[in-house]
Amino acid sequence: MTEKSGSVLVLGAGIAGMQASLDLANSDYNVYLVDNSPTIGGMMSRLDKTFPTNDCAM
Amino acid sequence: MISPKLVEVGRHTNINLITNSEIENIEGEPGDFDVTLVNRPRYIDPVKCTGCGECARHCPVTAVNYYNMNLDDRRATYIEYAQAVPLAFAIDTDTCIGCGLCENMCIAKAIDYDDKERTSKLKAGSVILSAGSRGFDPSSLDYLGYGKFPNVVTSEEFERILSASGPYFGHLMRPLDREEPKKIAWLQCVGSRDKNRSGNGYCSSVCCMYAVKEAMISKEHAHGDLDCAIFNMDIRTFGKDYEKYYLRAKDKDGVRFVKARIHTITEVPETGDLSVWYVDETGATQEETFNMVVLSIGLQIQPKTVELAQRLRIELNEYNFTSAAPFAPVKTSRPGIYTCGVLQGPKDIPSSITEASAAACLAGADLAEARGADIQKITVPDEIDISGQEPRIGVFVCNCGINIGGIVDVPAVREYAATLPNVTFTDDNLFTCSQDTQDKIKEVIIEHKLNRVVVASCSPKTHEQMFMETLEACGINKYLFEMANIRNQNSWIHSKTPEIATQKAKDLVRMSVARAAVLNTLKEKIVPINKQALIIGGGIAGMNAALGLGKQGFDVVLVEKDTQLGGFARQLHHTIEGEDIGAYIEKLIADVEADNKIRVLKNTRIVGFEGFKGNFATEVIVDGSDDKEKIKHGVIIVATGASEYKPEEYSYGEDKRIVTQVELGHRLEEQGASDLDSVVMIQCVGSRNDENENCSRICCQNAVKNALDIKRLNPDAQVYILYRDIRTYGLLEDYYTKARELGVIFIRFDQAAPPEVQASDDGVLVRIKDHILQQDVDIRADLLTLSAGMVAEDTDELSGIMKLNRNPEGFFIEAHVKLRPVDMPSDGIFLCGSAHAPKLISETIAQAQAAASRATTFLARDEIKLSAITAKVDTDYCVKCLTCVRSCPFEVPVFNTHEKVIEINEAICHGCGVCTAVCPRETIQLSFYEDDQITSKIDALLAGGM
Amino acid sequence: MRLEYPSNVKIVRVPCTGKVDVSHLLRAMQQGADGAYCVGCLEGTCHYNEGNLRCRERVEHVRNLLEEVGLEGDRVRMYNLSSGEGPTFAAYAKEMTEHIKELGANPLSQKQKAAA
Repeated sequence: MTEKSGSVLVLGAGIAGMQASLDLANSDYNVYLVDNSPTIGGMMSRLDKTFPTNDCAM
Repeated sequence: MISPKLVEVGRHTNINLITNSEIENIEGEPGDFDVTLVNRPRYIDPVKCTGCGECARHCPVTAVNYYNMNLDDRRATYIEYAQAVPLAFAIDTDTCIGCGLCENMCIAKAIDYDDKERTSKLKAGSVILSAGSRGFDPSSLDYLGYGKFPNVVTSEEFERILSASGPYFGHLMRPLDREEPKKIAWLQCVGSRDKNRSGNGYCSSVCCMYAVKEAMISKEHAHGDLDCAIFNMDIRTFGKDYEKYYLRAKDKDGVRFVKARIHTITEVPETGDLSVWYVDETGATQEETFNMVVLSIGLQIQPKTVELAQRLRIELNEYNFTSAAPFAPVKTSRPGIYTCGVLQGPKDIPSSITEASAAACLAGADLAEARGADIQKITVPDEIDISGQEPRIGVFVCNCGINIGGIVDVPAVREYAATLPNVTFTDDNLFTCSQDTQDKIKEVIIEHKLNRVVVASCSPKTHEQMFMETLEACGINKYLFEMANIRNQNSWIHSKTPEIATQKAKDLVRMSVARAAVLNTLKEKIVPINKQALIIGGGIAGMNAALGLGKQGFDVVLVEKDTQLGGFARQLHHTIEGEDIGAYIEKLIADVEADNKIRVLKNTRIVGFEGFKGNFATEVIVDGSDDKEKIKHGVIIVATGASEYKPEEYSYGEDKRIVTQVELGHRLEEQGASDLDSVVMIQCVGSRNDENENCSRICCQNAVKNALDIKRLNPDAQVYILYRDIRTYGLLEDYYTKARELGVIFIRFDQAAPPEVQASDDGVLVRIKDHILQQDVDIRADLLTLSAGMVAEDTDELSGIMKLNRNPEGFFIEAHVKLRPVDMPSDGIFLCGSAHAPKLISETIAQAQAAASRATTFLARDEIKLSAITAKVDTDYCVKCLTCVRSCPFEVPVFNTHEKVIEINEAICHGCGVCTAVCPRETIQLSFYEDDQITSKIDALLAGGM
Repeated sequence: MRLEYPSNVKIVRVPCTGKVDVSHLLRAMQQGADGAYCVGCLEGTCHYNEGNLRCRERVEHVRNLLEEVGLEGDRVRMYNLSSGEGPTFAAYAKEMTEHIKELGANPLSQKQKAAA
C-alpha cells in the first residue's frame, strides 16, 4: 500500500472551494487551492446583495 | 460577507493559494495523486506586490473590465476588486502595450515582463473540484434582443449595476442613457427549463430568488416609485424561509409577478424602452413596455470545465454537471476526486457551502491517517514578562511605496512621533509589511527593549494579524500592538491636500500611541477538547454524520429516541431517480452498527445538558432506566429530522380514498396501480399557507415521482396534479418534463381559490377553476392524494434542555442562513438533515457529511485557544443588578447563586461589548477595548486641538 | 476606493457599535469635539443581533442629555451602512461635517481655549 498524502487539492476558489479548503485546513490537512483567475472569490464576489437577508455579498 | 472568508483563506498557514492556474492532469491513485498544473504568467509577483496600485494608476492602456461584466473600463494592469485576495495586481497581456511605465513605477520591484507559462507538479491525497459556473450567455436567443438593445441586460450585469463598487457606483441606471428606469421587467428561465432553445432542460434553482432580491434592492435604490415585474412560469422559492422573502416582495414591496411565456422583445426606437410581448395564462398575447429588461440567466458549466473533466476522466451528465448518485452526492465517477457547488448541480450559496463541507469530509476521511503530516507547526517563543515596566513604545511609519510617502510627509510624522510620551524608538519604512522590515522590527524590539508597538500604515483588517505575529515571534504579547491607518483613512482620502494629510497622520499616530500606552498583556485561555461527538437522531442524517466522523477516527455516541435506527426515511421506498431507499437504510444501519467507533443508544432520551464548545456533558436515560448516564463530548450534531404533515384539509381522515403522498407510495409498492383510472394530487397541503408560510421543498418532486410510478404501472391511468407553482428545481425538472410528456395533467390554482373536494360513491370529486379555460372543471378521482408538507419532529423538550433555538415552524436555526448553514449559533454545535429544514435525501446526506466535517475542525485539535477579546467583570464593584444578564444577546453572563457573583464564561463570550456599555457601574470591561483604551484615543485626539 | 471625505473626521475603532458607551460620547463632547457620530451596520444585520440598535438608543440618550445642558443634541448622530458601502460612508462624513459647520464650534472647546 502506498503512503497517503496529507494534502488535498481544491480546484476553484469560489465560495464552495474556499469553504472546502477552510474545513480541511482547520482539520490539519494541507490544502492547495487552485484558481484560474488572479483572484479568489468566484461568482459570489460579483454579487451585490444576497438573498434572503439582503446582506452585502462582499 | 465573503470578504472575511477571503482574508481567512488568504492568511491560513495550511492553505497554499495557486492563482492563474489550472489542472493539466491527475495521475496516481486515491490517497497519492500526482497532479500537474499549468501556471499562467501573472507578470506581477504576488509575494512582492503590496497591492499599492501605483502600477495601475500609471498604466496608459484602457481595457474592458470583465469583472464589471464589461460595463466599464479598467487599466491593463489591474486588480479585480478592492478586497481581492491575494491583494496583488496582474497584467492583462491581451491589452498591455509593454510600455514599461508600471515597471518603472513599482518600488517593490514586483513586475516581471519576462514571466512565462510553466507547469508544476504536486502531490495530493484527494482532490475536490469546485470549478463553479458562469451565467448563461443569452446572445444566441434572438427573440430577447440581448446585445442588440442596450437596455436589455443580464442579471449578472444588473448585479454589478446595483453594486456600490460597480460601474455606476450603485446608482440605478440603464446603460443606454444612464437614466434611472421607472419600470423594470425581469424575465425568468433564460437559459433554464428550455431544452429547445438553450439546450438546458434543468432549472437553475437560484434565479427566482435573485430576481426577487434584485427587484427589492432596485426599489430601495430608486428615487421615486419603481415598478418591478417578474415574468415567470413558476416562482420557485423553495429554500428555508425563501417563501417568506417572496411574500415580502409581493405583498409588502409591491413587486409584480406575472405568469407568462415570453414571445419576443422589441425596442421602442425613440426612447430605447422595450416592449415585452408575452402569452398570458389564458393563452392571450399581451404587450407591456418597460424602461429596462433584466434577463434572469441560468447557471451554465463553462466549456473549459467540460474539457477539464474529460482530461481527468470524470463523467458529466447531459448538462455537464457532475451530479452523482443520490446516496453519494459529492462523489465523482473517479475515486478520490470529489465535487461540490454548482459544478455538482445548479444550487444556491448555502447549498454550495454545505456541499463543500461534505466534500471536505470525504476528501479528508480518505487521508485520516495522514492528517497533520503535511502541515507546518509554528512554534512561538516564551513570552517576556513586562509587568511593572513603563511603556516603551516603538513607532514604525510606513511609506507604502509612494501610497503614503507620496502625500504624507512621513519623516515629519516620524519625528513628531518621537516627541510623544512613552515613545522610545521611531523609524520609517518603504514597506513596513515586507519580510525584511519584519526582521528589522524584531531586531529593534529586542535591542531597544520595546514593550509596545505602533505601526502607522494601512488597515488592521488586512495587516494587524501579521504584525501581531511579528510581536509574538520575539516574545512580546501580541495584544501590545496598535495600528494607525494613515493610508486608507488618510493619504488615499486626502491625496489633494498633502499638508492636511500630514497633520491628520500626526493626529492618528498620537491617538494610537496614547492607546498603546494603556494596552495590557492578554492571555488566550487554552481549553482541552474532548474528542468524542454526540449525535442526536439516528435517521439518514445522524447515521451519515456518525460514519463521517468514525472514518476521521473520532468516537461517536449516536442517540436515537426510537427503538430502531432509520427515522422517517423508513416510510419511503425509492428516490425519484429510482434508487432503493430501503436497501440503502439497511446498509447504512449495518455500517453504523459494525463501526467500532460508533456507540448506538436506541430508545434514549436526553434529560440533562451542560458545558461549552469542546467540553459538553449530556445526561441520557436509556431504555427507561432509572439511572442517568452522563456522556462527555466535545461537539454535538443535531439531526432530529422531520416527518410528513397529517393534513386537516380536504376531508383527510374521513375517506380512505383520500391519502397523503407517503401513503400513496406505500399503496403503489404494495398494490400497484392497475385498479386506478384517475388519480388527483393537490399540492401545498400544509405548506405555503397562513399557518406555515414556507414551502416544504420536496412535495413537488414527490408528486411527480408518484405520478411517474402510476404511469409506469398503469399507462392508461389519468393523473392530475393541481398545483400553485411546480418547484422541481435543479435536475428534478427533467422528471417534471417527463411527466408532462407521459400525459400527466398539471392544473394551476390560486391560493385564494383552492380545489373543492367531495367524496361520493363514484369516487372523490374535485372541482377546480382552470386558468386556461377560465371555468370550473370537475375531475373524478379513484384516489385523491394530498401533497402534505414536512413538519419538524417535536423537539420542545430537547431544545429547552440544550438551549437550542428553533424558528416558529420548529426547525432549528443555523448560525447564518447564507454562510454558515451547518453551524448552530453556539460554537461546537452543528445541524443537519430535515431538523434544519425540509430537504431531499441526497441533500440530507450532503449536510450530514458537512456536519461531520465542521465537527472535525474542532475534534482534530487537542485544545482550543479562546479569544482574549472577552468581557471580564470586576466582582468587587458589581452590585448584581443583572443588567448584563438581561442585555447579552447570547445569554453569557449568569448569576452564580452559590458564590453570589456574576460570571462571564470567556469560552462562550462573543466579545461584542454590549454588557460593558450597559453596566451602570462600569464594572465590566472588554479586553483590548477597555474604557481607557477608547477614551485615551478620544483624549489624545482632542488634546491636539483639532 | 480612495473616496474623498473631510479630514476632520477621525475614526475610533470598536468591535461593534453596541460597545459605544454614553460616557465615550459625552467624553468627546466634554473634551471639545464639535461633533461625534457612530457608524453601525444596517439595522437588522448586526453580527451580534442588536448592538447597533442599542447604540442608536444611547445616541438618542446622549442627544437628550446635551440638550439638557444647553448644547445642540444634533452634534451627536447615528448612521447605518453595510461594509460594502464606501460611497455612503464618505457621503455621511460630508453630511455630518457640513451639519457641524452650520452649528459652529462646540462652546465647551471655546471655553477651554479661553481658559488656556
